[in-house]
Amino acid sequence: MFAEENGLHGDPRIKAISDAIRVVPHFPKPGIMFQDITTLLLDQKAFKYTVDIFVDRYRDKKISVVAGVEARGFIFGPPIALAIGAKFVPLRKPKKLPGEVISESYVLEYGTDCLEMHVGAVQPGESVLIVDDLVATGGTLSAAIRLLERVGAEVIECACVIGLPQVKGNWRLNGVPLYVLVEPRLTDLECSL
Amino acid sequence: MMNTLKISFAVLKPPTRYLPSSNSVISQKLHSPSSSPSVKPPTISPLGRGKSGGSRVYSTFAARTNFKVNCYSNMAEPNSDLKQGDVTVKDDRIARISSSIRVIPDFPKPGIMFQDITTMLLDPVAFKDTIDLFVERYKEKNISVVAGVEARGFIFGPPIALAIGAKFVPMRKPNKLPGAVISEEYSLEYGTDIMEMHVGAVQAGERTLVIDDLIATGGTLVAAINLLERVGANVVECACVIELPDLKGRDKLGGKPLFVLVN
Repeated sequence: MFAEENGLHGDPRIKAISDAIRVVPHFPKPGIMFQDITTLLLDQKAFKYTVDIFVDRYRDKKISVVAGVEARGFIFGPPIALAIGAKFVPLRKPKKLPGEVISESYVLEYGTDCLEMHVGAVQPGESVLIVDDLVATGGTLSAAIRLLERVGAEVIECACVIGLPQVKGNWRLNGVPLYVLVEPRLTDLECSL
Repeated sequence: MMNTLKISFAVLKPPTRYLPSSNSVISQKLHSPSSSPSVKPPTISPLGRGKSGGSRVYSTFAARTNFKVNCYSNMAEPNSDLKQGDVTVKDDRIARISSSIRVIPDFPKPGIMFQDITTMLLDPVAFKDTIDLFVERYKEKNISVVAGVEARGFIFGPPIALAIGAKFVPMRKPNKLPGAVISEEYSLEYGTDIMEMHVGAVQAGERTLVIDDLIATGGTLVAAINLLERVGANVVECACVIELPDLKGRDKLGGKPLFVLVN
């Protein structure tokens, strides 16, 4: 669900967040309008609003784990984890995590990729929130959900700053609800950088 | 007959020939956790580097024994105005942080003892303490940019930036940042790598911090410093959770101060 449709209609913070995100055309390849959150991170107020909205939503949900998807999930996940008193668990590309890991592969447009999590980081029965900057096809988040469910955790929700239109009608991934703050913009009327 | 005192913590016993004949009490200093340490912590300006020696063994010792010891490795005191009692409280935090970091032998290759901070992230108190120690040092110092090195710098940088009211600027591997970037090549043990920063993210004259989880040879931090200085920023300090002092990265930062929590 989008934040606007879920209690935050008219909240000026949502517009501030959306306006702070830069659109970079044809990155990483022609035809893709890349939603660049780095400009959001340069806007202290808008970055804080982003974290605050997620924290307000999740602080009373007894979530014990925030799992963040490498690498931009590492930017949004830890501030949320710290504020709600949860562990932060990084979900990483292959061979980055030392020690024992479990892996989950997922399909890309061309080929496959793999997400890894440390064995023992999450216990069976823990309530988990997964965080990433953006959800497009949901492939990465679905792999993240599978990793956590394999160790017996319960994924309460997936939270993303931006949700691409293709997920609008499909608000559950593997049965897990998705919470998104803003839609992508198609273009920048003026470039902020 | 010697009165033996039951000591419940692991401690190095002095050689028996130094023990008084009537009891086996170990030196007074080790025995009373609340006694003042014999060495005063250094008083230095908040952004100066610590000059006193020390060693990591104190932090792990404290972690095993709940001892309150002064643990000030070769790092700066977060706030030199603190009273003795406050310094003791901070030492507890460092002890917990230090003991929460896991060491993985032979990763990514034989001979390397990898310092794994993910276990610290699983301890919400240790993670919060880590951030707090940095925030206490840097708030009200007019830092407007926190630059974090991909990827583990992305975990520590943003919470610090949010708390001190600074921008967060990611320093990334090549081809990750969209739009116009500047690039800096730096040396690895074998070969080179490239670090990138967005054009326009940092303005000339901005006071910046560089954050990463660990400093080893210092190559990565030097690349970050170079990128920031190329756009005219003022790199005030580099801050890491862990230092590997034997690799002497600290000496390679072109005179930039380094602040670390454990080594």
